Amino acid sequence: MNKKVFSLQEVGISYRKKRGIFGEPFWALKKVSFDLFQGETLGVIGRNGAGKSTLMRIMSGIVQPDCGTFINYGYKVSLLSLQLGFISYLTGRENAILGGMLMGLRRKEIEKRIPAIKEFSELGDFFEKPINTYSSGMNARLGFSVAFQVDPDVLLIDEVLGVGDEEFRAKSTRVMKERILSGNKTIVFISHDARSIEKLCDRVVWIENGESKMEGNPKQIVEEYHRYLHTN
Amino acid sequence: MFLIVYLDAMFAYLELILYKTYADLKAETERTYLGFLWWIFEPILFMGVFYFVFGVLQKQPVPNFVPFLLVGLITWEWFKACVSHGSSVIYGQYPLMQHVHLPKILFPIILILTDSFKFAFVFSLLLIYLWSTNYPVNMAYWSLPVVLLVELLFTMAITFWVAAIVPFVPDLRFVIENFLTAVFMISGVFFSAEQMTDGVQFYFYLNPMANLIEDYRNILLHGKFPDWSSLMIITAVSLIGILTALRVIRRFEYVYPKITP
Repeated sequence: MNKKVFSLQEVGISYRKKRGIFGEPFWALKKVSFDLFQGETLGVIGRNGAGKSTLMRIMSGIVQPDCGTFINYGYKVSLLSLQLGFISYLTGRENAILGGMLMGLRRKEIEKRIPAIKEFSELGDFFEKPINTYSSGMNARLGFSVAFQVDPDVLLIDEVLGVGDEEFRAKSTRVMKERILSGNKTIVFISHDARSIEKLCDRVVWIENGESKMEGNPKQIVEEYHRYLHTN
Repeated sequence: MFLIVYLDAMFAYLELILYKTYADLKAETERTYLGFLWWIFEPILFMGVFYFVFGVLQKQPVPNFVPFLLVGLITWEWFKACVSHGSSVIYGQYPLMQHVHLPKILFPIILILTDSFKFAFVFSLLLIYLWSTNYPVNMAYWSLPVVLLVELLFTMAITFWVAAIVPFVPDLRFVIENFLTAVFMISGVFFSAEQMTDGVQFYFYLNPMANLIEDYRNILLHGKFPDWSSLMIITAVSLIGILTALRVIRRFEYVYPKITP
């Protein structure tokens, strides 16, 4: 078996329902356990509100669990975020640099990737223009191209693979799928869409009501998940 | 090995701080037609109002009221801008905090750097204005960097604390705005301590900003050295404030992203 990237043992996390110290705690996750290994694509499946996005935030180190343990064995984990920290009065290039640095790249690293970002985003001359002159499709293209170039040790994908207008969505989905299927990337892919989970992942964890209900090969888990949805 | 990783992370954050400061400054100048000229016009307009009220409508409280007023207003505005912006600096970064982990202390540092850059620009113009109107460079200028540093430390202490607490009690933002106005009124921006009765003067000098503004005037307008003992006390208090605020922000590092604005 490959090296462990991180492991969760009976992880739980609570938020306050209301503002203030008297706000009742709300347990977004109660008891989640699984490990992630190097090079695998792990799918996380579950209904809306099952706690999938909260789980992402724990894995990317944004928040810490209130009970249980989460151990990262020294990997740089980051969430695929589009248009992170973009400022509308700055040019595409400046936003790409800023976005890349916010996602943990050094300035030199992101500047090296600027040509690739510019090319992939198909923005042409608009790349040097402020992004408040962009259409929403252009914005999405820039956002995706930056996020795609950051390429951390572990990539967490929450639902969306591709973005933008029809053509770009097809292209971005394709490259993302290629990266996932390339086999040497460690990826956690969260979705409530069983079909893409089954197609893309090596292993699946099923989260139900804040708890990890089942873990195993995609086909089997997705089947169980569907059976559960129909009986409930 | 550990040290290298640590230093590497520090440099990465330093790079981020500098680039974000540049980005914020540029965005601010792009937002308006006059751009960075507003950094100059805003204090001048502000001064115009005070000059009209206290210099024209009333008898001028001190001789040479314009330089007196300018020194006070510009140095006060530096402090005020940082603290006022500081009240929403961590609180306002909620969307960003949902997507990436960043040490929260970066936000107030970037903010202070941005506002300090603007201050440096306006303050340089103030110096040029003073030199061209009979207030030449004098020996006391040696102490000017010290006073600037002490104000920076004091500003950092208050800004860090405000940034640390407001996410938990957002209502405080309204209190802070009014509190700043109140402190502005009693910091001697548009009057001098000599105009006060003796009993009140003691309380007047309990306000660090009142001391600092008077120090600036002593250096820039009268060629006198600042009051070292009060500067030392302000420095000590500020350092304690900064260190405790750092600890508070660190303590709640992973709690801030959980607070919905």
